[in-house]
Parts: sequence; structure tokens; C-alpha cells
Amino acid sequence: MMKKKLFKIAAITALAGLIIGGGAMLYMFNMPHRDIQSAKVDYSLTSTQIVSEYLSDKDAANEKYLAADGDSKVLEVTGIVSKISEDFNNQKVVLLKGNDDKAGVNAVFTAETNTKVLKLKVGETITVKGVIRSGASYDDDLELYENVILEKSDIVQK
Amino acid sequence: MKKASILLGSLLMLLSFSAFGQTSEKLVSSKTHMKFYSHTAVEDIEANNYASVSTINTETGEVVFSVPMQSFEFEKSQMQKHYNSDKFLDTKEYPKAKLKGKITNLSDVDFTKDGTYSVVVEGDLTIKGKTNAITENGTIDVKGKTVKVQSKFNINLADYGITFAKGKPSTNIAKEVEVTVHSEYSAE
Repeated sequence: MMKKKLFKIAAITALAGLIIGGGAMLYMFNMPHRDIQSAKVDYSLTSTQIVSEYLSDKDAANEKYLAADGDSKVLEVTGIVSKISEDFNNQKVVLLKGNDDKAGVNAVFTAETNTKVLKLKVGETITVKGVIRSGASYDDDLELYENVILEKSDIVQK
Repeated sequence: MKKASILLGSLLMLLSFSAFGQTSEKLVSSKTHMKFYSHTAVEDIEANNYASVSTINTETGEVVFSVPMQSFEFEKSQMQKHYNSDKFLDTKEYPKAKLKGKITNLSDVDFTKDGTYSVVVEGDLTIKGKTNAITENGTIDVKGKTVKVQSKFNINLADYGITFAKGKPSTNIAKEVEVTVHSEYSAE
């Protein structure tokens, strides 16, 4: 009788453990991507500021802005719209670049935020929130300045 | 005096011509798509990147791709975190990958004439700070003022110091990963 009860308790404990453990694993496995637009802003700056930070010390800037697990800093960048294009994923790309700057910030929008770009005009100043993916630098092989890349972007009303 | 100004004038003209020549040789693309595809019996994994920059020098045949590694997007966020971590691609330490090569059969390509040209690119691929020599096939499509490049090749992850001895990655990630490249250029 005692044995039977003990067995029952053990079975229930094991089952509960399995459900909790399995649930946690399933949650981890299917965890959604970080929602950049609802995440808190780590740095607010101008396109000129971040570009000059990168061009003066790339390593220090990478240390500051990039995260080892890819969940890098969320930035709010203000700059002049200097080019509007579209990538192969049908996402709008807005280049924010100061008139005298060697490089700018390429803000890549999403299927959800693309329409916000439609009313933008080259020359106007806007603020964009997004996640940084890579910095600006001069590339000797491309013989070009590469822009900062900001993804999952949306326009911030100021 | 007159002679000198003519000389100066023609020199300036020559200079401006050569400067013009230099810019028109280079095709630039920031409209790119790169895909990693890994196939195993357990699962198929795919990651996409739309943020690379590439150039082609139509005079020398030099081809360059600069790939921002954190722009690769996976369906599952956990996978993306693993990919970025120092156990895999270590993208904080090595934020960019690079392909630098040369079209070996450049004479077969006429960038001024519409058509599809098969090319061979020979060069170096650097991922996670490790460089390996590669020779890959691709096609160049010329249509009016736009030039498109397409290529598909395999890379051996161990060649770039990416190895998994045990656990889920060793069974779920292929040793050889298929890379698809697609880019569209316009003259600079």
C-alpha cells in the first residue's frame, strides 16, 4: 500500500517535471525575435555622430554598439534623407547622411513599416529607430565608404 | 604663353577623361541577397542577408563582396543567437565577411551588350577571420544599364574554424553549407 503511494508520487513528479521542462524547451525553441520597436532606446544620436565615431575608432565603436549574441544596440538616429531605395526583400532603405559626411546610416524598414517611407522626401530631416547590424568604415577592396546598417527600422515622431 | 595654356588645357582635359574613366569602370551594388542553406536529415536551416555591398571592376574583372554578418536573419531567434555567438560565427569580433576575387574569363563578358555570361571567379573568401582560396562559377546578366550577378556554391564550415563536436549543432547543422549570391549593379 505504502509502495503504491510512493510510486504514484514519483510518477506525478516525473510527469510534472517533463511537462515543465518540455514546455520551457519548446518556449526557448520557438521564442520570437526581439521586437525592436518596443525595445528601449540605448542611444539617441545623429547620423553624423555615429559615422564619425566609427571612422575615428572602429573597434571601440563595435565594442560599444554590437552584442555578441546579435541583439545589438537599439538606436534612434536623426539625419537628412539623402537616398531612398528598396532591397531584394522589398524593404525600403533610407540613407541618412550629412552633406559633408563620408558615410551615412542605411535604415532598412520592414513589411510593416515600409509605407511610412512613401511620404518621405530627399532633403528632409527625420529620426529613425532601429537595431544596428554593422558600422561605417572605409573598405580598401571596395574602395568605398560603407554605411552604418540599421535594420527593423521605423520613423519616430519627434 | 599661348602654348603653355594650350598645354595646360589639354593636360586638364586628359586628367578629367582619366578621372571619368575610373568611375565608369566600377559597378556598385547595395541591392544584394545572400542565403545560407544547411540541409541535414534532422532539419533544414536557412538564413538571409539583404545588406551586403559589392563592386565589380569591368576593366580588371575584380569582384568584391562585403557582408555584414549580423544582418543574417534566421526563422528562429534562438538559432540566430547561436549563429552570432563566439561558439559559431563570433560576429561581434568579426562583423564582416569578405569575398575578393577576379573573373578569370573576363574576355568572355561584354558589359556593353545585353546577354547572359558564364564566369569563373577565383579569389579569397574570409569568414570569421580565416581566409581560404576559392574558385566558383557564376553568371552575369547584362540588360541595358543594369548588371546582375548570380552564383551558388558550397563552403566547408570547418575551413573557417566552425566545428561542432557534440550536441544538437553537430547533428542539425550540415558540414557543408550552400551559399546563394544575387546582386544587382549600376554604374557608380
